[in-house]
Amino acid sequence: MNHGAEMSGTFACFGSTCSAFVSGSGRAGSAADAVASIRRNLLAWHRSFSRFIPDSELSRLNRDPGEQVLVSPLMARFAQAVVRAGSLTGGLVDATMVEQIEREGYTQDLRDPLPLALALALAPARKRAAAASARNWQLLDVDIAAGTVRRPTDVKLDSGGLAKGLFADVLASSLAGHARFAINCAGDIAVGGADGLTRPIRVESPFDGRILHTFELQRTGVATSGIGRRSWLDADGGPAHHLLDPSTGKPAFTGIVQVTALAPGALMAEIQAKAALLSGPRDAAAWLPHGGVIVLDDGSHEVIEPPSVVTLSQLSAGRHRPHAHALEDA
Amino acid sequence: MQQHETPSPNQPSRPSPERLEAGALARSRRSAMRRRVRRIRRSVAGVAAALFSAAFLAVYVQLASGHDPALSTKKATTTPTSQASTGSTGKTTEKRAAAKATAANQSGSTTESSGTGSSSSSSSNETATSSSTPSTGSETSTSTSSSGTESSSGSSSSGSKQSSQGTSAVTTSQS
Repeated sequence: MNHGAEMSGTFACFGSTCSAFVSGSGRAGSAADAVASIRRNLLAWHRSFSRFIPDSELSRLNRDPGEQVLVSPLMARFAQAVVRAGSLTGGLVDATMVEQIEREGYTQDLRDPLPLALALALAPARKRAAAASARNWQLLDVDIAAGTVRRPTDVKLDSGGLAKGLFADVLASSLAGHARFAINCAGDIAVGGADGLTRPIRVESPFDGRILHTFELQRTGVATSGIGRRSWLDADGGPAHHLLDPSTGKPAFTGIVQVTALAPGALMAEIQAKAALLSGPRDAAAWLPHGGVIVLDDGSHEVIEPPSVVTLSQLSAGRHRPHAHALEDA
Repeated sequence: MQQHETPSPNQPSRPSPERLEAGALARSRRSAMRRRVRRIRRSVAGVAAALFSAAFLAVYVQLASGHDPALSTKKATTTPTSQASTGSTGKTTEKRAAAKATAANQSGSTTESSGTGSSSSSSSNETATSSSTPSTGSETSTSTSSSGTESSSGSSSSGSKQSSQGTSAVTTSQS
């Protein structure tokens, strides 16, 4: 079926790069209209969800002295995603660690990351991360209908990767009817389209940028989380990055430097990728029931192919790997 | 001379007990054979139906789960590579190859174009035909892909670009 040429656009956003690929017409208008709309939305959401912009909606929410705050519908959904990430991973993925990440020195957009090899050489002994004893995400009370977030005033939210996954999913839902589309929100990707064709999704190495693996995917979410890009030297000269071990509040060095997760949606993929990375090499694969790529400290990588055939037992049980049931139920 | 009593033609002869027993035996054997035939027919029909259902279900589930092999050309090249070193687990642990990365890291924005033909390329071709995620923003340039044609439209208000008829590859990297 010929749906016309694919329109695409690439632009700087979220301190990284976003891109959109659309072909065919749909709810968002022509393919060019859809690309323009995606770009407009992402840039606007960047301004609303950045922790580094003082008057962003997220910054205002984080410093609001009231326990209950009226927020935009998308911010409410983000807060809900924070709760969801925490509950699905038992607190391993915790987007309320703003104080800890700022204490580590991540207080502004980072320009040049620490070379990954150097960071790994300076890093402490590898240890899998664990949930914090204080589970602040459990204190969030989100009312989507009323558009309110209630929380103790010292609980702050960090948009991080969760917001990007959410944005990709939200934009994907607005592209229903278009023949083919892909939205890349700085590594969190939603792929879909009415024509059901597959699209090559390439996973890049954090070490040298080469392509480690290419998946052929349709109607899926993909997210990559890693410690190589947003990294720096802390006040003590130690390597630091933005993925914290909730149990210590310190950057997690688990033996994994990057995880790419495939999932039904980009937000779920983001949650799974982070959980896999924080779980360490032994347990990471269990968080990737839909496939993915795990890159270890030594540069080796493990490809987990998406399940190609669903067995009857999987259909009846609704899962085929540990954690899958809970993740899919969500 | 002794006269033998001959039955009249209208009066049937009474079968001997041996003959009756033989008849009963024959009937029981016939009915046993019929039962056996019916049993075999039922078994054959049941097995055929079960085989057909299983095959139909397998194909249906394969397609319904979104893994139509006819639509996936890349797997044919990437999966064997992965599986070659892993055996039956479907997982691969590959040592990082020497840094022959040819991923066309370019600053500035790029639009990727890859026809479906590119999806059958090997891993090294993937890097050769890919355009990397740029580190800075605006839509200024296009990378020419060996696997497809690309044209820059520049007519959209968003600066979006028109790529070839194929589906562009998307690269995911840590953000």
